[in-house]
Parts: sequence; C-alpha cells; structure tokens
Amino acid sequence: MRADKFNPLASLVTWVIVILMVFPLIWMVLTSIKPQSELFVFPIKLLPEHVTFEHYRRLLEDTPFLSYFWNSVMLSVATTVVVMAVATLGGYSLARFRYRGRETIAVAVLCTYLMPSVVLIIPLYLMMVKLGLENTLTSLVISYTTFALPYALWLLRSFMAGIPEDLEAAALVDGAGRLGAFRDVILPQALPGIISTALFTFILAWNEYLYALVMVNTDETRPLTTGVMNMLVSSFNIEWSLLMAASVMMSVPLLFFFAFMQRYLTSGFGAGGVKG
Amino acid sequence: MATASLSSMGVRSLESAYSRLGILLIAPAMLLLIATIVYPLLYALWLSLNSVYTPTQQSSFVGLANYRDMLGSPTFWFSLWVTIVWTTSTLILQILCGVGMALLLNEKILFRSAARSLVLFPYFVSTVVAVLVWRWLFNDLYGLLNQVLLELHLVDAPVNWLGQMPNAMISIVLVGTWKYFPFVVIAVLARLQTIPLSLYEAARMDGAGPVGRFFDVTLPQLREVLGVVILLRIIWDFKEFDLLYLMTGGGPVNQTRSVPLLVYQQAFGLNQMGTASTSAVGMMVVMGLLMAAYLYRSQRTRSQDASR
Amino acid sequence: MAAVSFRNVRKVFGETVSIPSLDLDIRDGEFVCLLGPSGCGKTTTLRMLAGLEQPTSGAIHIGGQQVHELPPAKRDIAMVFQSYALYPHLTVAENIVYPLKKRGVPKGEWPAMLASIAQLLQLEPLLARKPKQLSGGQQQRVALGRALIRKPKVFLLDEPLSNLDAKLRAHMRAELIELHRRIGTTTVYVTHDQLEAMTMSTRIAVMNGGVLQQFGTPDEIYYRPANQFVAGFIGTPAMSLIDGDMQRDDHGFSVRAGGLLLRLPNSALCGDAAREVAIGLRPEDIVLGRGAHSARIKVVEPTGHESIVLMECGGATLCTRIASDVPLAAELRAGQDVPFDVTLARVHVFCRQSGLRQNRDDVNVTAIKRTRDAA
Repeated sequence: MRADKFNPLASLVTWVIVILMVFPLIWMVLTSIKPQSELFVFPIKLLPEHVTFEHYRRLLEDTPFLSYFWNSVMLSVATTVVVMAVATLGGYSLARFRYRGRETIAVAVLCTYLMPSVVLIIPLYLMMVKLGLENTLTSLVISYTTFALPYALWLLRSFMAGIPEDLEAAALVDGAGRLGAFRDVILPQALPGIISTALFTFILAWNEYLYALVMVNTDETRPLTTGVMNMLVSSFNIEWSLLMAASVMMSVPLLFFFAFMQRYLTSGFGAGGVKG
Repeated sequence: MATASLSSMGVRSLESAYSRLGILLIAPAMLLLIATIVYPLLYALWLSLNSVYTPTQQSSFVGLANYRDMLGSPTFWFSLWVTIVWTTSTLILQILCGVGMALLLNEKILFRSAARSLVLFPYFVSTVVAVLVWRWLFNDLYGLLNQVLLELHLVDAPVNWLGQMPNAMISIVLVGTWKYFPFVVIAVLARLQTIPLSLYEAARMDGAGPVGRFFDVTLPQLREVLGVVILLRIIWDFKEFDLLYLMTGGGPVNQTRSVPLLVYQQAFGLNQMGTASTSAVGMMVVMGLLMAAYLYRSQRTRSQDASR
Repeated sequence: MAAVSFRNVRKVFGETVSIPSLDLDIRDGEFVCLLGPSGCGKTTTLRMLAGLEQPTSGAIHIGGQQVHELPPAKRDIAMVFQSYALYPHLTVAENIVYPLKKRGVPKGEWPAMLASIAQLLQLEPLLARKPKQLSGGQQQRVALGRALIRKPKVFLLDEPLSNLDAKLRAHMRAELIELHRRIGTTTVYVTHDQLEAMTMSTRIAVMNGGVLQQFGTPDEIYYRPANQFVAGFIGTPAMSLIDGDMQRDDHGFSVRAGGLLLRLPNSALCGDAAREVAIGLRPEDIVLGRGAHSARIKVVEPTGHESIVLMECGGATLCTRIASDVPLAAELRAGQDVPFDVTLARVHVFCRQSGLRQNRDDVNVTAIKRTRDAA
C-alpha cells in the first residue's frame, strides 16, 4: 500500500458505499447482542445499551440449532471431500490429456453448470426415494454434486492448465509416470487453486437451501439453512433476536473463508466465474 | 536393429495408454454428472408427459396434455412474466452498481484490499441469512428501514414492504441486487486491472475528459467481460429460487411467484409432479431461447467487428 | 552412453505433416546439434527422442533398443529444457536428487552423488535455496545437475542457452564443451544459433521444414553445404547468393551471375550441372582491392577490428569483409567503385531449381582450407 497519491474523494465515496452495503450484516450482529427490551422501542437506537449473549445461549440450549449446525458441518465436509477428489482428477484429465471427446466433455460440463435446480429436484427426489435415501444427509451430498462438481471441475481445470507443461515433462523424463508427475508437480503447484476451490465448494454446500428443503424434512437431519428457516416459520412469535443470533452463527465459516482467502479470492473466483 | 516392427505399422501404444488414463481420470466425474444431471433431466422430461400424484407417486401417462394445459393457462404465462420482470430489473441494477463499484475500487483507495474483500460479503452470505436480515430490516413495525424513513419524514406511515405490490417486487429486486452485484464487481474489476494505462494516457493526450475516457477506452475493453457476466447473471437470476421463496413465498397473491417457485408449488403444494415438471421444462425452453438469442446477437456483433 | 537412430520417422499433427520422413544415425559419444530456424522440426525431433511426443510412424532406437513406444521414464535419457523446468516447490538439492528418487536409487547413495554434481557445477552454496531465488545462469546449472546426476545414456538439451545474456552464453558454451569432453555422453542439442552449433558439435544436423538438409561435421557444413539453404543459413555474415546462368563448353563451365562472369574448370562441377544456377560467395572469398571484377559500395559497417562491406554488382548484392588495419579500409566510401577478386576454388554453384550444390569435391576440406590460408 502506497502512502502517497490516495484519491480522497474516491476513498470517501467507496467507503460510504461499502459501509452501507455491509450495514445489514452489522445490524444483524448488533441485533443479536441487544436484549429483547431494546428491540421494540421507538425510535430505534443503533448501538445496544446493554450487550447480552442471552440469545446465543438460548439458541444453543433451547433450540435444535446445534444439531442443525453439526448436520451442516458433516454435509459440507462430505460434499467437499467427494467433489474435490473427483474434480481434481477430472480437472487434470481435462487439462493435460488428449482423447476423443475431451472438448465435448468440457462444453458439456459448462452446460451443466447452467442447469436450473428446480428441474432436477423432482426427479432427484424420486430417485432418492427409490434408493431408500430419502431424508438422509447422503441424499444431500449426492444432490449437491449437481452444482458443486461442474464448478469445481471448471476451476481446477483452469488452474492446472496454467501450470507450465515443461514441469511435468521434466518429471516424466526424470522417471515419474503420469500419476507420479501429477502427485509431485501438479498437486503442489495447483495447491492454492485446490484450496480456494475446496473452500468455495464448502461455502456452496453450506449455503444451499432448495435441495435441503426438498430432500430432508426432519429436524434430526436438517442442515442449518432449512433448520433456521423452520424455526422462523414454526414459532408463533417470530423471535428476531434469536434468528439474528442464528444468522450470525451461520455466517461464521464465511469469516474463516475470507480470512484464508484474501489473496486467492479474486484470481480464483474471477477466473472461474468469468471464464465459465 | 529391427526396422520392421509393429510401430512402423502405426500402432502407437504409448499415446493410447495416455488417452486411456485420461479417460479413466475423468470417468468418476462423468459418471457422477450423468447420474445426477443427465439422467434426472431425461427423467424430468418423462415426468412432464405424465400426471404424477406426489405423496403416492402414482403416475399415469397423459402425453402432451400437461403442455397443452400449461400453454393454455394464464398461471404459467403470468409467472413467466414475473420472472422476466424480476430478472430484468435486478440485472440492470446489478450491472450498473457492479460496474460503478468496480470503477471505484480500481482507484487508489485507502485500505483498498479491505474494501475489495468486504464488498464480497453479500455474495457469500447464505441466502437464508440475507433474507432473515433483510426481512428484519423490512419489518413494518420494528424494521430499521421504516424507522429511518419515518424519522426523515419521507413517509407518513410504516411501509408494508413484503405484503403489498409493487413493494414486494421492489424489495426482492433490491435484495437480489445487494446479494449478487459483487459478482459483477469481481469480474469487471479483474478486467479493469488489465487495461494498460497507456490507453488512458493516449486518450488524455487526445483531449478526452474522464467521461470520454470511460466511454471510449474503458467500456470497449469491458465489452467481452460484460457479455459473459450478463449472460451468466441472466441465467442465474432467471432460475433463482431461494431468494424469492424465502422473501415473499411468491406472494402477495402469487404476484412474485416466478417460474421456479411455480414448479416447487405445483410439485409439493398441489402435489402434481407431472405438471411441475412440465413447467420446469417450459422454463428451460425459455432459458434456452434467451441464451440462443443472446449468443446469436453477440456472434453477429463480433463478426461485424471482424469485417470492419 | 549409446548410439541413437531415427529410421523413417514421420510426425503428423492433425492435418499438418511436421516431419515427412527422418533418417538419422548418431554415434555413441557424439555431440550432435539439431540446427535450424523456428518451426523446422528440431524441437519436435528432440521431444520424440525424449518420449514427450510419439512419432506417427517410424522407429527410434537408443543403444540398439527400440524406444519409441516407451514412456520417457524408461528410456534412460535426461533433458535440460529451455525454461529449465526446475520444480519451484523443491530446493536445489531436492531438485537434483529427484531423478534418483524416481529411479529407486537407495537413499544412502544420494549425498555422495549430490556432492559430486554440486562440486562439478559449483552449486554447493545454493543447495538449500529455491529456484526463484536463483539467477538464470544458476538455474541453468541446477537443470544441468539434475540431468547429469543419473549418468543417462543420452543427454538432451532444448535451446538451454537462449534465455541467457550473451556473455553468460559464451561462458556456458565453453562449460558445456568441457563437460562433454569430460563425461562423453551422447548429446543431442537443439538450437537455432549457428555459432553454438559450429563451436560445440561433432556433427550438425541442419533441418528446414521438417526435412534433414545435411548431417555433417561443422567443417563439412561450412565448406561443403549440401544445398542453398544450408549455405545461406551457416556463416555470419551470410553467404552472398546470386542467381545466374551457366553454359558448358569443351573447356569448362562459364557462369554469368550478377555482373560477374566466372570460368570454372570441368573438374569443379558435376557433369550434369544445371543451366539455371545460383552462385554462392562467402565474404572471405571476396577480396577487395584488386581483380577483374568491379562493384559499387553501398554500405560500410565498421565493427571494430574489421568492417563489413555491402556492395552492388550488376544488380546483385555482395557482402564481404575487410580488416580495419588495411590501408584500403580507410578509403572506402559509399558510392565508390572498387575492384575485387573472387577465390574461384571456393565458389559454390547451386542448381536454382533443386537448391542442390553442384560442386564436385575431389579435394577434401582440409585442402580447401589450406588454399585459403595460402592465398
């Protein structure tokens, strides 16, 4: 960061806009730490007079929130592991091998990326019922691959294509087979791309709503997204403070995502999002 | 030294061994995609030709009857209209805000990388969280938005953001813009950063002011990126389910029921999976036509540029 | 160490025939340069030898063993890439021992082998560093080390010096020559720089358009180029080529080209020498100051100890040299007419249609060189 030549006007305008944009999320946090009494007053004060973590306590103790949270964790981790394993090998294949139909497959992957979920939910639901997987987290993991896998494939393919071919050639000449070259050269070099794709996949799975809505309808198996919305709908009084606390907790992985991803975010996301 | 050998007959075993390995590596992905996308897609087409009662899954073949009903009834057409209104409005706003923000973030801003990261938050927040937060802000009695408007005397009474039209559509478009315009920001910003400064310097020497420089240098450079971004956003906004379902549920009185919501309601509300699949197929056809028209237009402009 | 042979090797990329048919025999211990302009097929040939490309048809042998269907790992070769291709995430030491790891050499032997290579290439202080911390020349030596440590049968180098600055290039050329002298592994070296080829090789394979033009020692290539392409490609400044006609009578051949009329004895050219020819004159075979011919000077380019003179004679451009300390050199001006002589013994005559050289070389190359020194 250079200390000179800042554009003060642009800085001011930009930061005002950024703060306004992020404000709803700030408001979410503020609401979650205000005692109930402060929520329904006129005029509304921005900052809490008393900070309380009562709502968080109630969320964790009196609601199925923790079980939703745990379900989401397992679901997202499983989806990420499956998708990354398959997509890493597939991305390598698309980037570095020559075979008939490769370009067709690449285009097909691109098209699946654009497939509307609503079209697939009905047949997938019926398929899960037939397989006896209805209302399980497994059905969700399988369903999530419909949107997570094409994206991961596309991202990993571009990351791996960017690795200089000479490196693999050198490994081959040095005595590695193609899979050895993959392990010794491609994986280490593509590591930033692999990590960012994995985090991306995790977030996609963590945030997914529609499939969870259709496939799962008991509290034991619900992930956070449908679970929290269920809390909203099923209660007589909408407990906004509780919901805001839930929202804050739901967004915690996002913070980790950002903390690790500062550097990689623009390049990885931009490459996949725009090239796609 | 043997010169006559299998190899001189053209059998290249190493190359085919590599090809086989390549196919093996993509096979798991292919199988998964075929199982979870291709097969269900075909299944959905089949379903659309049937009448299926959801709870029992009893189905009976009805041929094209579902399609006739869909095309004949105002329900489908109205929700298609709703979808078009929603997509167009939010797209325009997303592009305007996205490009504007990208231009700002391309300047020398204090703590620029922090700003660039924060701008992405709405995109990565779960739709559930976004909806909860905004519904709380939109709350007619205790929501902050109404409070501020009342205190600034911009309105006399609390606004019903979600229960009334056109407010409901406006609210959805606003929240959709808020959530998705960072995607445009990222794509456009990445491209802006690769535009050589020399182009701007040349324009400045030719006498162009900032507005001129934007239209004559920046915008042409952004054309390709914007082309891709607009296409992607049209597709994704068109098929957006979560946001509309969670904000308004399609209400008031189905005034914000886009086609994805219609499909869901037909399948799980009315228990008619056949009809729902038909609507879904109808939606895909419309999307396909949109894409084709868009791509045709952009091919035309590209060949026009090339022939100039 | 092993001999290398290409037998009827053909390479097709999609619709393009990159190499129609290549036959090449490299002897054990030779240093062979594949020399030619971009796109001539030299890198493709090297990559086929390495196993990174597969020939469409034909056979490649290393040490008598058929290798064209073997993966690179099984061919017992080592390669230095133009980009060096050092593994960025490994240290210099790890880079160099990587081939040992892949070949299953027992770990206990690594330190000794690493130490001897490091000493040979002066890499000892760099062993713990990562490639991006090294200069171009250092990276190149690490790449060499990685290739040498295995003592392969054939050593392949793909324009390894082209990314270095001129001074370092000259230094590395000498080092590579010394290395080859010491270790003696069969080496195949790709370059587009004829100076490298001329100074380093035992034999040069000149290629153009996927076709082998000539395979011979540097002297053979220089003094007896097989065709017009080779003649024009080798030698700086380039040979002057002038189109002309040739007549034959009982006394010999007379060639009229540009403003020159040359008479050559019957023994100089092949009996069926063509009528439409091009003659080639190397700069050192055109002597200024005296002679039957005359030309008008176009440009004089002083380069220090000598000047390069471009002159025009009967519509053709000739290029020659003159030492700066010769009195005539100071007097040369553009536009001036100057007499010159041509060393007939080394005039090259090419058939214009086929490009092939028509000279008959009964005398060997050494004799030709001696004629020059005597003149």
